[in-house]
Amino acid sequence: MFSNQRRNVLRASAAASLASLSPFAFSQSKEPIRIGILIPLTGATSQFGATMSLAAKLAAEEINAAGGVNGRKVEVIIEDDQSNPEAAVRAARKLIDVDKCVSIGGSYASAVTSAIAPMCWEGKVVLETSSGADSITKLPHQGYVFRTSPTVTLQGTRVGDFAVELGSKRMFFMGPQTPFAQSYIDIISGIMTKSGGAGAGLIYEDKKASYRSEVDQALRFKPDVIVLGGYVPDTAVVLKDLYRAGYEGRRIGYSFGVNQKLMEAVPAEVSEGAYSLVPSAAETATAYKRVVSKLKLAGLDSYSCQVYDHVVMAALALAAAPNAAPNGTTVRDNIRNVTQSAQGKVVDSPADGLKLLASGSSINYDGASGPLEFAENGDVKGVFFRYEQAQKGKLVVTKVA
Amino acid sequence: MFLELVQLIVNGLVMGAVIALPALGLTLIFSVLGFINFSIAAQMTIGAFAGWLVNTQLHWPLVPVLVVAFVVAGLLGVASDRVALAPMRKRPSAHMALMVAIVSIALNLALENALRFGFGSGLNSFEMPIARDVVIGEIRIGPQQMHNLGIALVVSFVLAAFFTVTRVGKAMRAVADNPDLARLKGIDPAKLSNLATFIGMGLAGIGGALLAIDTSVDPSTGARLLLIIFSASVVGGLTSLSGAVLGALLVGVAAEVSLLAIPPVYQSAVAFLAILAVLLVRPSGLFAGAAGVRK
Repeated sequence: MFSNQRRNVLRASAAASLASLSPFAFSQSKEPIRIGILIPLTGATSQFGATMSLAAKLAAEEINAAGGVNGRKVEVIIEDDQSNPEAAVRAARKLIDVDKCVSIGGSYASAVTSAIAPMCWEGKVVLETSSGADSITKLPHQGYVFRTSPTVTLQGTRVGDFAVELGSKRMFFMGPQTPFAQSYIDIISGIMTKSGGAGAGLIYEDKKASYRSEVDQALRFKPDVIVLGGYVPDTAVVLKDLYRAGYEGRRIGYSFGVNQKLMEAVPAEVSEGAYSLVPSAAETATAYKRVVSKLKLAGLDSYSCQVYDHVVMAALALAAAPNAAPNGTTVRDNIRNVTQSAQGKVVDSPADGLKLLASGSSINYDGASGPLEFAENGDVKGVFFRYEQAQKGKLVVTKVA
Repeated sequence: MFLELVQLIVNGLVMGAVIALPALGLTLIFSVLGFINFSIAAQMTIGAFAGWLVNTQLHWPLVPVLVVAFVVAGLLGVASDRVALAPMRKRPSAHMALMVAIVSIALNLALENALRFGFGSGLNSFEMPIARDVVIGEIRIGPQQMHNLGIALVVSFVLAAFFTVTRVGKAMRAVADNPDLARLKGIDPAKLSNLATFIGMGLAGIGGALLAIDTSVDPSTGARLLLIIFSASVVGGLTSLSGAVLGALLVGVAAEVSLLAIPPVYQSAVAFLAILAVLLVRPSGLFAGAAGVRK
């Protein structure tokens, strides 16, 4: 409870000041256009926070180096949601009311996104999110919500199909209380039942020191595959307790729970063989390669790529409407014009996009996270997944589909 | 059904053992100093990090690791108490206990974020192999968890002996009972308060290290369990050392056994219902006056 109130003020302010120092091509007397980035820098969901922050700053640098948007500099304002909806609401209030951001990007945990979404559409600010819960785009968001991450239904379906493909008959889901836990149980159980198997699950509390009783309950179902729906801290404990209990069956988790951080948090024999379903960035796309090389990284997770695209999409949308007021509604009305216009010229960098838009051409931006085509309700279409497996304490890609 | 119940009780005892030591520390500090020191969560985490460092860097085994956790958490506990809490305690105020408790919450956040700044928010693992459970008559028992339970019991017996046999222990009980009278007898409460803080925070450090071996070492290791530790202390009567251990075991067992009737996601509510029930029936706690600092 008390940890809820912590704020990593140092990091957040350092990040904000760095962002404001980013170089820009020429002196602009006008106020910068502010783009809010609300990401988990601390807490249970913070595994991608640091790279999300780098990606957002890189996007702003590239936009400003290309002259900014309609003669105005772009400033990203990064706030820490602390993996906590309550802290996220306070941070979002600041981004909307104080900073007057045109859009808020990042927004990773579904509980965080569900909490701030109404503030965004009420405040006429675009919310670009990398959360999965289906319920988010079912909200009456008046078009202000754009989701760049695959939905829970899609991820659940993929995990269910994968479990069947591996020959599993009985699936048991274990995960903490999240807006998507019950959907996972229902979706995956449905797939198992259809293929002649069975499925069940339990939802646990996420801050326990031991899940022995929960593991006992799971094992009574006699599962041959256990789906781990938790984030890293609780998944680490569940995996250890499954190991102690002598469970030898398959384990499949999601990228927010079974990832490199988890590999460091548990001994190799505990994670050995566990699978992870990872939404994949557009690893063959030019935008992805440029972002990775500019950040001097070997590779980048899909979520950080999505945050990069969140900043770029908002900037391009405003640049596409130079005569409209630079606000959230303009962003909302123009995102699809710059990301999925059939006659637009395909571009993969904000610099090319801004140049073409300035010359009056139309563009179709393909981002680092994917081609960015949005359905009517704001959900992204066409996503790829990587299937990874823990082998000797390292995650190894087994297939991409 | 019976076997299931026994298994749940065993699991509950294991849970309780992990929170018993920090609950003991919280109770000790409250008994002698008269306020709840919430920075105990951060000292648990500090103990976990100290133990983790000597375990992974110097490859020390469990018992020396726990000694390091005790000493480091104890020393930092005293230092932070001197810096942040002692000046508050000197102010004469009717609300002293409450004000110091609130400052200790702030201290807890400051320490936790200092750890975050130094070590990052990643999760770290001890270099200790994870043992499979042994099954005795269909009941699954974790050897490591039983080990933890044993350590918690040994530490609380040593502590009980310390308070009944040694001069300093008796002096501490005297201060807890009546500080003014103790001062008249020539006991210096300030010196004792340092010792009580050292032992209390040291216990939290051991508890944190044991907890982290089971879970993971990260800046929130202690904070995750703060409320359940507090509830164990309250159920135990806040001033009784054996009460703290029994309270911890009781809260652990109650939370696990409740799984028979309620879904796991509501489990921590049971801890708070336990506080509520105990305070309604026995406002001074279940074991207040049983045996401990304050008889």
